[in-house]
Amino acid sequence: MPQPAKVVVEHVTKTFRRNDEELIVLDDLSLVVEPSEFVCVLGPSGCGKSTLLNMIGGFEVPSRGSLTIDGHPVRGPDPRRVFVFQEYGIFPWATVVDNIGLGLLRRPTAERERIVAHYVDLVGLKGFERSFPSELSGGMKQRVALARALAVAPDLVLMDEPLGALDSLTRLQMRAELLRIWKAERMTVMFVTHDVDESVQLADRVVVLSPRPSRIVDVVEVALPHPRDIGSPEYNRVKNRLYERLGVRHEI
Amino acid sequence: MGFLAFEPLALSALALLAIPLTRRAPERLQRIVLPIATAVVLLVAWHAFAVATRYELRMPGEAPRTVDVFPTPIQVLPAFVELLGDGRLVRYAIASLYRVLTGFALAAALGIPLGLAAGWFTRVSFAADPFIQALRPISPLAWIPISILAFGVEDGAAIFIIFLGAFFPIVTGTMTAVRSIPVAYVRAARNFGLDGLTLFRVVVFPAALPQIVTSLRIALGVGWLVVVAAEMNAINSGLGFLIVDARNMGMRYDLVVAGMLCIGLIGVLLDWMIRRLERLDEVRWGFSKV
Repeated sequence: MPQPAKVVVEHVTKTFRRNDEELIVLDDLSLVVEPSEFVCVLGPSGCGKSTLLNMIGGFEVPSRGSLTIDGHPVRGPDPRRVFVFQEYGIFPWATVVDNIGLGLLRRPTAERERIVAHYVDLVGLKGFERSFPSELSGGMKQRVALARALAVAPDLVLMDEPLGALDSLTRLQMRAELLRIWKAERMTVMFVTHDVDESVQLADRVVVLSPRPSRIVDVVEVALPHPRDIGSPEYNRVKNRLYERLGVRHEI
Repeated sequence: MGFLAFEPLALSALALLAIPLTRRAPERLQRIVLPIATAVVLLVAWHAFAVATRYELRMPGEAPRTVDVFPTPIQVLPAFVELLGDGRLVRYAIASLYRVLTGFALAAALGIPLGLAAGWFTRVSFAADPFIQALRPISPLAWIPISILAFGVEDGAAIFIIFLGAFFPIVTGTMTAVRSIPVAYVRAARNFGLDGLTLFRVVVFPAALPQIVTSLRIALGVGWLVVVAAEMNAINSGLGFLIVDARNMGMRYDLVVAGMLCIGLIGVLLDWMIRRLERLDEVRWGFSKV
């Protein structure tokens, strides 16, 4: 029996008004994301990738078209689909455990502590429970954000360039971590990035957006098992195709 | 005599010498030496000014005598001893502190909630902000006649003046603090289903707290600033009263200056105390560069 789709984007257009001028950010986008799928949305900066994610997260409303999750129209933010923000969005005044427990405030204390402890462990932050974000490295802060998102057991995680602020080594490590956690939790992930390598390393499918007004120019399947060999011909074939679709030549 | 007149100059020259001499000294030493040098220069300038403004009074049939217009630093010292000795200094300082702390506490108790509400809810801001902005530029001192009319000549009038002085910095500071909360924090909170009072308790208030503490610090400073003026009218205790009283009752400018110095000293102490709030974990993050 086929599972129903997780996210359905149908003919979604988003326009903003600026100085009495209508600015089309997203132009007639249609996209289906399956449950437990890892989808990367790839596109040049300013193309409206974040706007798409914001609408799916319920923070913005499409100007035209429809947006459904599990068959229900999106009406606003919901703990079942959690956003991981670009600038972490974790609270600098709260400790690691208080940050991770943010979505669990209504649960009984004992249960909350048990869940938080589990996710502290999962993201490798043991020993830093009582630390404040200012005492953590960029990668650790991102782990807090990830643990906070996962702690509410969401079935959809929306990530807006979550690794963008990290140095390249930490970014590689965090990609591996993310894949490990995704395999363990099997949630659906929509991951926005402008990094071609990142999308080929992570995604089941890569959705390529054009510059504004953004349309979907291609959807590329990455049929490679994890962990992916970044030297393999197939990896490079996908990568080259993405570069080509973005309109940039791979050789410099 | 010539040498004595020259002595202060020599002292200040010596103090100024500390500036180049400590250039390579350890910072800890500079922190001690440089303010002392400044103090010496200021005291010398004060002394020189007091001496320069003295004049000879020649009355017919009397020997000419020197009249002091301003007290010298050395003349103020016994005034301190006098004020400490008869207990006036402590009594008046407590009276002033009581008024300032009461007015300040009332201002915080009212100002923080109103500022939070006006910063968060657009409708509260629409309703209240024009009046906050219109009342804010009226000096609390302009309220003195009205407050005496309303509260009489007791503590009430002075406390009300201080309340007004402290209230507006707290309201506007809290309002700005709430409005400048990064949108990512609020979105994250909403995403996790937080709303109503929980949202306020868990996100809005803690996010705004460092800036609220800054506004409290400013407000306490203003409160201490206006207490003197508030006590100059229709009250017979407090450091402000001390100053007017010392002048009115016998031109005791040494007492006036001693009172002024006490006000400054206590002001520094108050600021030092409220700055300790900035070191709390809940507040410190707002002052550190991440």
